[in-house]
Amino acid sequence: MADIGKKVTGFLHDVKTHWKTPPEGKYVPYREYKDIFLAVGFNYSGNKTLEYIVFAASCYLMMYHYKLPYLTFSVINIINMPLNYIWTMMTWYIADNLGFMPKKNERKFYFVYMMLIVIGVLLIVFDPSVLFNQSGRFVTYMNSLEGISCSSAFKILGTHILWNGWFGARNIFWRKKLVPKYGRYKYSLYCNAIPKCIAVILIGWLPFYNIPDVITRVWVANLMFAIFNLFPFDNSLEMCAQNISPDVRERIWVRTIPIKLSHFLNSVVAILMPVFIGMLRYEWADINLFKYIIPGFFIFCVAVTMIFSGRIKERIPQPPLERKVSISFWDGMFGVMRNKYKWVNTVVNLIDSLGNGMLPFATILYLYTFRLSGLIYSLLVALVSFAGTPPDFFAPYFLKRFSYKQLMIFYQLSRAIGNALIVVALLFLGDRVNLCGTICVLVLIFMEMTKTIPVTAGHDMDIRINDYQMYLSGERLENFSGVFGWFTGPITSFVGLIIPLMLLKYGFNSNWDVLFIDSSRINIIVVPIIIDIIGYVLMTIPYLKWDYDDRKQAMVMEVLKAREAATHGSLDGSEAQDEPAEPAPADETPAESEVTV
Amino acid sequence: MSRKEKQKRDTTAVYNEIKLDIPADEVWTYQIEGLKAPSIGKPVENAGRKKVIVVISLLIAIGLSIFFSVRAVHSETYNYEQLEDGWQFYKFSNPGDITEITIDCIDGDPSKPITEIREYAFNCDDKLTEITVGKNVKKIDGKSFYSVWNLRNIHVDKDNPNYCDLDGVLYNKDMTEVICYPIDHDAYLREKAGIKEELWPWSEGGGYDDAYIEKVQTYKIPETVVKVGELAFNYANLVTVCLPEGLRTIETLAFFKSTSLANIITYNAGGRYLSLPEGLEYIGSDAFSYDQALSYMFIPSSVKYIGHHAFWDTCYKEDGEVRGVNVMNVALGEEEFRTLVDSNDHWLPSYDWKLLKKTIDTNYSATRQPLENK
Repeated sequence: MADIGKKVTGFLHDVKTHWKTPPEGKYVPYREYKDIFLAVGFNYSGNKTLEYIVFAASCYLMMYHYKLPYLTFSVINIINMPLNYIWTMMTWYIADNLGFMPKKNERKFYFVYMMLIVIGVLLIVFDPSVLFNQSGRFVTYMNSLEGISCSSAFKILGTHILWNGWFGARNIFWRKKLVPKYGRYKYSLYCNAIPKCIAVILIGWLPFYNIPDVITRVWVANLMFAIFNLFPFDNSLEMCAQNISPDVRERIWVRTIPIKLSHFLNSVVAILMPVFIGMLRYEWADINLFKYIIPGFFIFCVAVTMIFSGRIKERIPQPPLERKVSISFWDGMFGVMRNKYKWVNTVVNLIDSLGNGMLPFATILYLYTFRLSGLIYSLLVALVSFAGTPPDFFAPYFLKRFSYKQLMIFYQLSRAIGNALIVVALLFLGDRVNLCGTICVLVLIFMEMTKTIPVTAGHDMDIRINDYQMYLSGERLENFSGVFGWFTGPITSFVGLIIPLMLLKYGFNSNWDVLFIDSSRINIIVVPIIIDIIGYVLMTIPYLKWDYDDRKQAMVMEVLKAREAATHGSLDGSEAQDEPAEPAPADETPAESEVTV
Repeated sequence: MSRKEKQKRDTTAVYNEIKLDIPADEVWTYQIEGLKAPSIGKPVENAGRKKVIVVISLLIAIGLSIFFSVRAVHSETYNYEQLEDGWQFYKFSNPGDITEITIDCIDGDPSKPITEIREYAFNCDDKLTEITVGKNVKKIDGKSFYSVWNLRNIHVDKDNPNYCDLDGVLYNKDMTEVICYPIDHDAYLREKAGIKEELWPWSEGGGYDDAYIEKVQTYKIPETVVKVGELAFNYANLVTVCLPEGLRTIETLAFFKSTSLANIITYNAGGRYLSLPEGLEYIGSDAFSYDQALSYMFIPSSVKYIGHHAFWDTCYKEDGEVRGVNVMNVALGEEEFRTLVDSNDHWLPSYDWKLLKKTIDTNYSATRQPLENK
């Protein structure tokens, strides 16, 4: 007991001493841990709250109020897909250069974006479909699509063009203004928090769901959500906190303790929210959920996030902005394509797309099998999601004990086994609601527990792969990594139609009540899960090629530190910024570094 | 070092061990063993050829994807599948202007008779008002007309040996099963009665009146019927339904979300009485779910099976009071009910109670409430 007491006292003393300055050899003071806990926690909770408002069939606003045909979401994706290639190219160039471009290029970009805004507005306001032969093949085909007409298809396209023009112009403007002050991850909070709050309020209050004509309702909803999505409130503080230290062990420590603890705050929000929803007359189907409860929770989360986000810093070993390596479009593209590990991840994601278009199984289980609401719903959801938290505290042990390859193969196989058990329960015990539901919940808990450590390993590996990219190309090229999506996008968008078309056959469309029909519910859930299981088994294969280990990462970090020291030294003769409290290799000149390999 | 010891070893210890000696002039080019060499500020080899390959592959990928996607999401107005003895009417995709259709033969060709209508064939259509079933149709799935929101009537060819209709409501030929009461059938009845305006409980002048309910929102199931089919009356805008005493089965979701349904009355040669008929044996899952206008329910002693959630959400709490079906009256005693009736999970409704849900009380050995009390 005395030992424990001493340790606690020692720890408290340590915290007090290093409240504002980091401990020896470390980069992060304890006060920043407190800020991470609160700011990341509420950023994460706010972000999770926004999951209630998405332009997808699974959103309760869509499910109970807008009632859009299920296949329409896929059709809109197809309409938008070709132009997406152009926008993403432009966005990567801006983002990977952190918004700093030669003046001439900047002016060109602004011009293009302004033109897009004008074209978008024109397409929405006027109806170009009158220019086509109304009984011709094109118009007939467009009119035959679910929830779409030829005229509304142009408005949807116009919305897409308007959105990209507006988003692109904002992207350059705010990056240039805010990245130097707040860094590459945190800046977006400062320009989006207030508009996002306004958008969240408007989305519940604008009564567009009362429009009787489904075709008009579709394009108006699409436009409304496009404007809503202009102001992302991503989990950017967590991203920032994950890059909080050049020391890999300190990164893992930050991710394991303050970040993981901060997710408890979301658990509290996740419990409270359904309790309030349960008090509404029509529960999940009550529009007051979107008028009062979600805006209330969200605005509170935003306020706390902004209060505590100020002191959280990213500390990636990198040259200062003014000495940043400038990346041309093709260099960026070929740069990421040299990264073998990004190819492996791409293949995995491609296989994972087999499950695209699936309805959220857990939601169906809670609402249609168990018919849950209120506190019981909250507690069950919290129990399942909490199941993933305890294993996370053992993440450092597992990350030391097992390789990334082993963890990821285990992850995919555990998901395949878990889903197979769910299928068996649904097929053989489907009419025994309590028994079948209990088995499914136990399996969900098992899958949540086995997911946590591989996901932590995955996050860690994503950062490492970016470190490796920085070693390869001199920049992290995070946005250029989207080039892989160019190749997979056409395949995934087609593969993503398989399940929606199948669900349509089983009776799933804009009316979710079909899920009350036992036979249809089982088909709607089981068949996509079986496809998913095949995907999980196949996803183990690419990981066999994974050979990026701690040794390689350690060497990459050594190279990056040497580069950082070299560029800072040559810039102003000063030492590196954000150096650890005690002299560390980053402070040494490369020539003085010791050889031990 | 044994394998076990190796595995136990802290793999991250490598970060302390590895120190690289990188010459100052090789900082940007230094290659790590086992990894690719960095390429910073160097021109890409064969850049032109690589660019062409990337662009061409992308164009092919996008083109193929759009081609196949466009084909996949497009569907013909009428879709059929061939069967051994004819064709199945598989799916109807309304181009937006079709309000009436006849299901008989493909393109009017008698050599291509439609013999079956598949489940969800008209799913979520909001334009169709009249459907005519031809003489060749042998099988109609109970879910075929699910969510056809504006469907007023289903007519059946008089020569059809398997099905018939009674003033727009679909039955099997011998009238022992009611298959589908169209969702918007009340609009037809309103028109037939010469009533211009649809009434709602919140309409000006107090909402429904008795005459309106009798003409538009009352349906009497013929006495020959022994089975109410799956989804037969789902979403029906009915206030009163009269069941024959010979009824034996109420199938799954038979009266699902018939939210106006307030009165269930059974009739026989001798008169009428409240609630479910004596002789009823089977109540399917979700049979009366969400029918919150109901206020009385009596389970007769003949019932042998009650499906899960059969009366789900037929009660609710308002102003601190439990309304709707707030007590379940069961003819059998508690012990008899447990042994004789196969009742599934959550068959009883529940209501909000503090932050939880509470199941309503069951009144065993109950006697049926007289009709005049209602």
